[in-house]
Amino acid sequence: MEKTNLAIDFEKNKMGNKIPAKDRIIAWPRMGRVDIPLKALLLSLGAKVVIPPPNSNEALEIGVRNSIEGICLPYKLNLANYIMALDKGANTLMMFQAPGSCRLGNYTKMAQKTLKSMGYEFDMVIFDMYRSKMKQTLHAFWHVTHCINPWCYYKGFSLGFNKFFAIDTAERLLFYTRPRELNKGDAEKCYNKWLKITDETNSVWKAKKLKKQIIEDFKKIPIDKNKKVPVVYLIGEFFVLLDPFTNQNIEKELGEMGVEVQRQIMFGDWLEHVLKPSIFYRKESHRERSVKYAKDYMKRPIGGECIETIGDTVYAAKHGVDGIIHISPFSCMPEIVAQNILPKVSKNEDIPVLSLVLDEQTGKAGYITRIEAFIDLIKRKKMRKS
Amino acid sequence: MQRELSHKKVGIPRAISYYNNYPFYYGFFTSLGIEIVLSDKTTTKIINEGCKYVVSDTCLPIKVFTGHVVNLLDKGCDVIFVPSIQSTGYKINNCSKIRGLPEIIRNVINRDFKMIEPTLDKTENITFKDFWKNTAGYFGITDEKVINNAIKSGWKVYNDFIAMTKSGIGYHEALENAINGKIVKKSVDIVKPLSVAIMGHGYNLFDDRISMNIIKKLEKMDVKVYTSLNVSHKDAVDSIAGIGEIQYWANELELTGTAAYYLLNNKVDGIIALSAFGCGPDSLMVDEMMYHCKETGMPLIHLTIDEHTGEAGFVTRLEAFVDMMMRKKRNLLNKQSAKTPKTAAEVVKIRNDKVLTGSAK
Repeated sequence: MEKTNLAIDFEKNKMGNKIPAKDRIIAWPRMGRVDIPLKALLLSLGAKVVIPPPNSNEALEIGVRNSIEGICLPYKLNLANYIMALDKGANTLMMFQAPGSCRLGNYTKMAQKTLKSMGYEFDMVIFDMYRSKMKQTLHAFWHVTHCINPWCYYKGFSLGFNKFFAIDTAERLLFYTRPRELNKGDAEKCYNKWLKITDETNSVWKAKKLKKQIIEDFKKIPIDKNKKVPVVYLIGEFFVLLDPFTNQNIEKELGEMGVEVQRQIMFGDWLEHVLKPSIFYRKESHRERSVKYAKDYMKRPIGGECIETIGDTVYAAKHGVDGIIHISPFSCMPEIVAQNILPKVSKNEDIPVLSLVLDEQTGKAGYITRIEAFIDLIKRKKMRKS
Repeated sequence: MQRELSHKKVGIPRAISYYNNYPFYYGFFTSLGIEIVLSDKTTTKIINEGCKYVVSDTCLPIKVFTGHVVNLLDKGCDVIFVPSIQSTGYKINNCSKIRGLPEIIRNVINRDFKMIEPTLDKTENITFKDFWKNTAGYFGITDEKVINNAIKSGWKVYNDFIAMTKSGIGYHEALENAINGKIVKKSVDIVKPLSVAIMGHGYNLFDDRISMNIIKKLEKMDVKVYTSLNVSHKDAVDSIAGIGEIQYWANELELTGTAAYYLLNNKVDGIIALSAFGCGPDSLMVDEMMYHCKETGMPLIHLTIDEHTGEAGFVTRLEAFVDMMMRKKRNLLNKQSAKTPKTAAEVVKIRNDKVLTGSAK
């Protein structure tokens, strides 16, 4: 009896409702360019939003100062985002959680406590990404906006999804074009232009066309098609992969070294897989592919992105990829397991792997040196092969 | 699918789940007629051996576990029990490294050996019974009656063990008696001026090398020590709810559960948190406890251990903590003795103010 009451209390806690819906000013933690689609979604539901400033050294400092020593890097940045957003006038914080994976499930609980002890007044709205995800997500967005117009929901979600896909496409093309471009900086310029356009697009009809337009525009950039470019898979922990500040913009560094990066985790793909009901999702998901390829090394998923890391490495080795760069935040539990397994995979499948651990103290120079050495190794190996 | 093993012998590393579940393992395997080979007690050599195999970011308990597996292999035992305890309740998961223990061991040790790797995952409906059925399957035992009997005898040894530890008998003594089928009850409870509760995983706390004998050291300083073994499962679960938290980690009962129990019933003068460096769940649980301790004014010290921890520094910190608790208690007593209690209500008030509490059970 007591237990069920507690569970209900917990459910209530997840949806803070101290503030009436019309007064809500909503903010959420930043991760890469997630702010663009989410902003579109919330604005079309009629909400007011505050976007915290992009992750920077200042944000990191705020996060480190207010969180415990042993926690992982993503939490520190999340907390800093909350604090900065609250300072800018937000009063409702949104965050998803996936219990049963790793420390991520505890982030919101911790953040709520820390922010309360710092004297902030706010509502936190949390939605599970575990079971009945679409229902939970819709409920959370209804809770913060109290919007009942189905057209708004259609518009919001369709805008949001299309923007996600547009950004993903732009990123993929950027990774492809950057090492091959003839005039340095063209691809970057094009990418930034389309990010801006994507942000400003406000109609579903235009948003749906974005993807095609981006592909066409990238085609116009003059590239050296015959250049031999080594391909590197970027794998590892979700947050550090998607957040360019945290990974010190590793994609750009690699691109400028003349390496094509293929990042395996794309936010749009992940979201589609998580939110779409399984009947409509026909493709082989990333997780399924990983489980299939990793079966010689791992027999069970252990939370986080560990099995994806291993599965992608094997997949890469079987599909002629030249190297793997594995990045993870310091003391990330699933990725430590992955780090333990990777040397054997690397040896058995004959693929070079570089594991990089990031924390707030990572110096850029040492980091770049290691990447450069690794890229040299890959290039020499590729030359010997051909 | 599961190969039948010709010789019925199983090696259990003296690390991780050994410290909480060995009585059960003993009962179960002996009932099936399987001989148990234990690895040696943790030594610096075993830790160093383990460090050779795993990457340096891995936490100390996993390094120790790897060292014990290597020790078993060196002893000539090539069937090793490495369970993967994923979750002990719906959405109550373990730490990734414990969940992936078989995956780590399989990939870091390049020797020829067989691993018995059953999975317990209540989130995915793999129950406790399935776990043991799977284990017995590796030895070619599929008769359900035999397995049920073995589980029963496992519970018997385990319950004896728990009954003894709850009455206040130390870990090693209780374990020895439980295995020999004896039940010893402690009759006299020694009263000591101070008492502390230690929150820490069994595999850190009861391993004499890792914890550097913290329990004995504290007892030498005239401090009574309470651990997770003194708190029943139900009490721990209730206490977590009592301080308004929700159980998230599978082994949270040992830490938050224990600390919360003693925080709520005001039985101790301080709490010691003992955790391995880089432990993910601990960093959150200790912080959570710190928050609650701050609210109630309970002293808490967080001791971190890794393979390099020097004993001298460790003892100094413990001594300082004990001194501080002593001074706090003396101050309170002095204040109280200035106005001697007259009515029963005042006596109750003093008791609530933690002056007369402590060691007496």
